[in-house]
Amino acid sequence: MFDLLTSYTLFSLSTVMGFVALATLLHLQFGLAGIVNFGVVGFWGLGMYAFGVLLIQFEVPYPLAMLLAVAIVAAVSLLIGWVIVDLNDQAVLVATLAFGTIVTSLVTTEKWLTEGVVGLGSVPYPVETGDGALWQFVVLTAVTAAIVIYAARIAKTPYGRLLAAKRDNEPLARGLGKNTSRHKLTIFVITCALMGFVGTLSAPVHRFLTPDLIGPGVTFSAWIALIVGGKRHPLGGVLGVALTIFVFDFVIETYVPVPSEHAATVTVIKTIVYGVTLIVALMFRPLGLLGPGRKRGSR
Amino acid sequence: MGDTIEVNGLRKSYGGRVVNEIPRLTLSEHRIEGLIGPNGAGKTTLMSLITGRIRPDTGSVRLLRDGAAIEITGMSLNRVARLGVVRTNQKIQDFESLTIEDSMLLSLATDRDEGPGRLFGERDFRERCDPIIADYVAAMKFADRSAHALSAGEKKLLDIVRCLLLEPKILLMDEPTVGLPTEQTDEVMALVSRVAERQDMKVVIIEHDLDLIWKVCEHVHFMADGQILLHGTPEEVRTNRLVRDKYMGESHA
Repeated sequence: MFDLLTSYTLFSLSTVMGFVALATLLHLQFGLAGIVNFGVVGFWGLGMYAFGVLLIQFEVPYPLAMLLAVAIVAAVSLLIGWVIVDLNDQAVLVATLAFGTIVTSLVTTEKWLTEGVVGLGSVPYPVETGDGALWQFVVLTAVTAAIVIYAARIAKTPYGRLLAAKRDNEPLARGLGKNTSRHKLTIFVITCALMGFVGTLSAPVHRFLTPDLIGPGVTFSAWIALIVGGKRHPLGGVLGVALTIFVFDFVIETYVPVPSEHAATVTVIKTIVYGVTLIVALMFRPLGLLGPGRKRGSR
Repeated sequence: MGDTIEVNGLRKSYGGRVVNEIPRLTLSEHRIEGLIGPNGAGKTTLMSLITGRIRPDTGSVRLLRDGAAIEITGMSLNRVARLGVVRTNQKIQDFESLTIEDSMLLSLATDRDEGPGRLFGERDFRERCDPIIADYVAAMKFADRSAHALSAGEKKLLDIVRCLLLEPKILLMDEPTVGLPTEQTDEVMALVSRVAERQDMKVVIIEHDLDLIWKVCEHVHFMADGQILLHGTPEEVRTNRLVRDKYMGESHA
């Protein structure tokens, strides 16, 4: 039966919810502002690990560790943003992708801090009663909902139009007096810091932090979900995650009885299906399921 | 009196070829001025140098306002625009995802309206902007303000409207008539003249449509081979032998 309270169900749903948050933040960065962030996992993973290290290795109090972790991610994204802000899309893509890889490598190699592949453990829930996992899921859901509502609202404000204008034609926007560099940097730092915040919330969900949690697959999953759902739509990330990550990591893993000898096959099939879905979406609905579809007669 | 632009010792070259060499020039001393010259004379480059889109090799551009001189050489495009020096585009430019109304709202939004924390106040902002937008929609005869600009002509008009909405002190227009039917050109120029009177705005027009230049400009600069060769009233420039030889020779002889 559909039992929300089993710990495995809560773990899966919390993971899925984290992806909804990441995909929606990516919508703000890429769908709205046109910043090609291929280092999603770097910001999320840095938040998660910074929090875990502060909490466990340095015994910093729980809320302070979260706050510091987010501050670290904000500082790092400010530095990266400052470097990439006026570079072209390809350069931004490569730089952020490299950043994500660097975070993963450092987490693996800096064993004195992160315990490397052995794993850093264990990150407790803020409330260590029996309901910790449920509360964590509730908090993650609330934060995700807030991000989605923010994304839906900001698009219909002067700031949303400014970011869309920057994405469409940056020199033209500058010619109208818009300081696009400053605004790009601001939205980049805010959304990256929030990715880090989601990372701190994801840490107790995984409990035991290992480098394989923060592989490039996280970035690609968030991207595929957003593209399938609709990069320009505030609900694109929600729909995309529901159709991709939710189906595989929750529905199939929880409710489809896969014989254990075929368990590894599911992961491979997942990757294949993601890839095919992405290609089909790009061919027939380049702006995603919630996008307007191909305009007749245009390109 | 209003603002004027003063250019001193300006020089810009690409790969050894000098495209602009202007020892001294004062623009927009008159309400509406023309800048004419053959293709490749460096007119568009001069405008790009003034608005900060490109940087000169040497020399300076200054904005003279109320007796003070503001150095705008090397200043970014957006800062120059905020100072009130704005340029309409020669090539068709648009924001593909913004409707006509969105585009106008974008222009009307100031720094104070734009911020990641400004989630509310959109309704007030629209109410404030509505009469202004309605005026321009009527003046430019846009069929549907909630639609996208579709034709090249609509995009060109919208480009000019976006600039006018910024209430510039100096409007540089780079070939405003390209892509517009003649009767619309007259309407646009009439509108620009009206705004210029009302908002104390100066206009500098680059144009190959010389009839328009002779008709609307009080003063004309003639440019060829990267240099300003002549200034004067439309009558003086039109009858000048140099201008006839270098520019009008073939077509207007």
